[in-house]
Amino acid sequence: MSGERTPTGRKRPRKRGRFLPYILLSPLVLFIGALALYPTILTTVQAFFTVNPMDPPTRFSGLANFRALFHNSFVRQSAANTVLYIVVGVGLSTLFGLGIALVLQRRSRWRGVVLALVVLPWALPAVVESVIWGWIYDPTFGVLNSVLKSLGLINSDHVWIGIGRIVSIVLIELVQVWQITPLAALLILAALQSIPQELYEAARVDGAGRWEMFRRVTLPLVRPGLAVAMVESLILSLNVFDQVYVLNGFAPGGASIMMQTYQISFNNLNFGQGYALSLLATFATMLLSLLILAVVYRRVEF
Amino acid sequence: MPVLLVVVLLAALVVLAAACGSSTSTSSSPSAAATTSSGVLPSPTAGSSITVVYHYPAPPKSVLDQFTAQTGVKVNWVEVGWDNLQTKIATAATSNTYFADLTDVDWSKVGQYYKTKWFMPLNPYFDAAALKADMPQIDTFASNGQQLALPFDSSFTVTTLNTKIAKAAGVTGTPANLTDYTNALKQIKAKGAVPNPLDIPFAAAEGLSTYWYQLTAAYGGQVLDASYAPQFTAPSSAGYKALQWMVDAYKSGLVPKANIGMADYQGFTSEMAPGRVASVFSDYSGSVGSIYDVPSSSKVVGQVQYIPTPGVSGPAPNLSNPDGVGIPKTAKNVAGALAFIKWFTDTQQQAIWAGLNGSSDVISGFPLPARVSSLQLLAQGNKVSGASELMTLLGSSRAEFPGPGAPPWYSQFSNAVYTNIHQAAAGAETVQQAVTNIATEVNQLKASQ
Amino acid sequence: MRGHSGARRVSRALLITLILVWSAFPIYWALNTSFTTLNGAQSVPAHFMPSPFTAQNYKTLLNSSGGVGNQFWRSFLNATIESGLATVLTVVIALFAAYAFARLEFRGKRIILVAVLATLLLPVYATLIPLYRIMSSVHLVNTYPGIILVYTSGFLPLAIWIMYNYFASVPRELEEAAFVDGATPVMTLWRVMIPVSLPGIAATAIIVFLMGWAQFIFPLVLSSDLTTQPVTVVVAALYGQRIVPFTLLNAVGVLAAALPGVIALVLNRYIVQGVMAGSIK
Repeated sequence: MSGERTPTGRKRPRKRGRFLPYILLSPLVLFIGALALYPTILTTVQAFFTVNPMDPPTRFSGLANFRALFHNSFVRQSAANTVLYIVVGVGLSTLFGLGIALVLQRRSRWRGVVLALVVLPWALPAVVESVIWGWIYDPTFGVLNSVLKSLGLINSDHVWIGIGRIVSIVLIELVQVWQITPLAALLILAALQSIPQELYEAARVDGAGRWEMFRRVTLPLVRPGLAVAMVESLILSLNVFDQVYVLNGFAPGGASIMMQTYQISFNNLNFGQGYALSLLATFATMLLSLLILAVVYRRVEF
Repeated sequence: MPVLLVVVLLAALVVLAAACGSSTSTSSSPSAAATTSSGVLPSPTAGSSITVVYHYPAPPKSVLDQFTAQTGVKVNWVEVGWDNLQTKIATAATSNTYFADLTDVDWSKVGQYYKTKWFMPLNPYFDAAALKADMPQIDTFASNGQQLALPFDSSFTVTTLNTKIAKAAGVTGTPANLTDYTNALKQIKAKGAVPNPLDIPFAAAEGLSTYWYQLTAAYGGQVLDASYAPQFTAPSSAGYKALQWMVDAYKSGLVPKANIGMADYQGFTSEMAPGRVASVFSDYSGSVGSIYDVPSSSKVVGQVQYIPTPGVSGPAPNLSNPDGVGIPKTAKNVAGALAFIKWFTDTQQQAIWAGLNGSSDVISGFPLPARVSSLQLLAQGNKVSGASELMTLLGSSRAEFPGPGAPPWYSQFSNAVYTNIHQAAAGAETVQQAVTNIATEVNQLKASQ
Repeated sequence: MRGHSGARRVSRALLITLILVWSAFPIYWALNTSFTTLNGAQSVPAHFMPSPFTAQNYKTLLNSSGGVGNQFWRSFLNATIESGLATVLTVVIALFAAYAFARLEFRGKRIILVAVLATLLLPVYATLIPLYRIMSSVHLVNTYPGIILVYTSGFLPLAIWIMYNYFASVPRELEEAAFVDGATPVMTLWRVMIPVSLPGIAATAIIVFLMGWAQFIFPLVLSSDLTTQPVTVVVAALYGQRIVPFTLLNAVGVLAAALPGVIALVLNRYIVQGVMAGSIK
């Protein structure tokens, strides 16, 4: 089994070892190639074709799909809705995540238990969560209305989802925020915990108060964690589907881009346009991720 | 970079293949010509099996076993929710894969299926003309001479009224026309016991579109004419008035505010059945028997009745929206499927699904048999609530798009309808805007075909 | 950072309570709704403890011969098998690949790694229909293998990312020692890296399993019936179905959340470590 030894006693890599990485990687490449790359290429190419069982045959159509999407008011509306989904999703999950991470920084007896409960929403299927929250939002029997009424904040049963567009979107996204905040919290917590204590000590010696320490030490140094958390939240909220499917159905007021893609592809059978919309969404994701990374991320080394 | 190179080359090959390949099947579909039926079905192979995928629960096993005993064909029944099912039908057809030998053909999709050739014409095996007298809704499932399915039930829209609530509010007798009906609702509301007496499902879903079609019929018109041109754009038109009526009903509080997010069946089970509303203008035939009179899920047993749908000047026609059963083009056991269709839709079986042999042999939620003869059996045995009223209404029911049938682009049309009506009720659009948007969409769809 | 003053402790306790309520309230509410009758759940004002108390919904679900019960258990089994086997496959493949990335030098390494991770950016829909068509052409639609293959391809990038970070953080001295003793890279992987990184492997496995269990859109399209439909699809279908008592629905939700919930609570340590390790650059 052992190869020849060089004069210094170190083993020279055997000829066979050169292929080892490729052998180890081949299952991965096969999977990603066949089931991720190929379908993506298919989608990309067919976005420029007319692919519609009601309008055969499949044929090249250039930018026709894209033009049709831009002229479609429902598509435009779902894009606007998705912007709100993203703002709420990224904003709230990062804010709450930061808050939770700050509170849970300190090791304590209870931290394990609290962390376990915090992570719980992230582990549950989004569809199940939507059904549970749907019941909470229910106008007639939901506990939200019940509590608000007993607090005297509202007089009659408020319909939360379906009437006010902004309120509906915020509340639907809240369900997703509930699910993704734990992820943001963990990512930010990791970054927080990698900040050396000495920096805080040094700041304290300089006479900095808690708020100063937060502003001068914590915030700048937690930026890598914040950036990653925000990109994760961005991807998840841009693609929001399960919650919208369960709570909003096909109403245009709350439709997200992915919901619109689903409708175009499966209700209208216009697969070409569906591909085109997916492509646009992918580009948007990449652009916005890069934007976040450029603005928020900062290489930190200790 | 050997690995990367190989991947890129593979990808390039794939791109070429994708560009050249067609995503829609151009494989030969069964004969498209309308042929006269021989009425003779091919014999199924004993020991074979068929897969039925439908949005109703399976008939009891003991009953299915009878079919197996008669024909030697085993039945594998899979229940899938309606929306999910439509997606499956679409994905299976577009990728040319097998997923069922028999499945749902919705009345609204017949035009689309004629164009996409997803279902096997049944003309060689069933004589539609001969069956029409007993199955009044069989025409709904034919397009351009091709019979793409047989009716599975005979659903049509009806008006239901909780007479107990109405009487308690001082409403005597049955509303004879739309004005009487609206006044009755206002009276019930004024009395206070039921503050929002009317159920309209304003969720952006198919049930809202159907409601509008029925109301348009009550106003004496249709939404599209025989060439599919919009008939609802003028404020004096039936469709416009119907839309206005619906939106006004919501805004004036005749309809519960929560209905903005409620779909049709949710309204029946969570509002009408618990007695929270007094009437559904566009209910489905059979809901009294399968929902309101079922003690375990209803608080209004015995209180709800079918009334003739009040039109502007008397009873309005009821619109049929039956479910059909058809054979996808990718089916494997065609002979078995045909045998099943024949068995499933025969007089006796149809009555059994609705309760002829008692509740142990029913299909849960089954609205009403497709055959008049089955209804007669049920009426004789007094097995279905309101059977005689339903028979009368069935006789006078008509299709929503008589003549040409539902347009091939019905899904997009209905989508435009329900989303715009939903927006109008939610206050995001005016009635005029909604009407204009729907009409624009219709004209676009017509132009693109 | 070390405030022990009374006010600070109180405010800290308040914050923690707030966090706990935020995280746990919906689940508590689902439990509350599921253990009562429809009338009890629909009472106005809402009851905060189930009243009347009944376990009927759970009895209905646990009775696997009945309609809903059968649907539930079959889909539960499906979800567990599909997610479980996908996890095994993903972890094994990711293990080899992550080791190659972390410890071996070869041409194209950077590009392949970036390409693999870039697929994390793909929205689900980019691949949904083409995957359906691929799977149907090899007759794997509505089969366990088909779904497992699709899941695996989706989870690999994340799994590799987590394990790559774990492997990269293992001190090289351990392997050097093994090399000196004459071990090949493969033996090092087997004898040194894997045992040392077991927590990371466990974390990856748990995270991937949970993600698999939560899948919705793909099984919605790829799974046509109860042969392979997981719990999520059944829950969504029940929500949209004709007669849906909210109490039963919440009970379904609770049971559907039970497995991932218990895993998350008991094996929480691994999840936390896994995610946090994945964020260290």
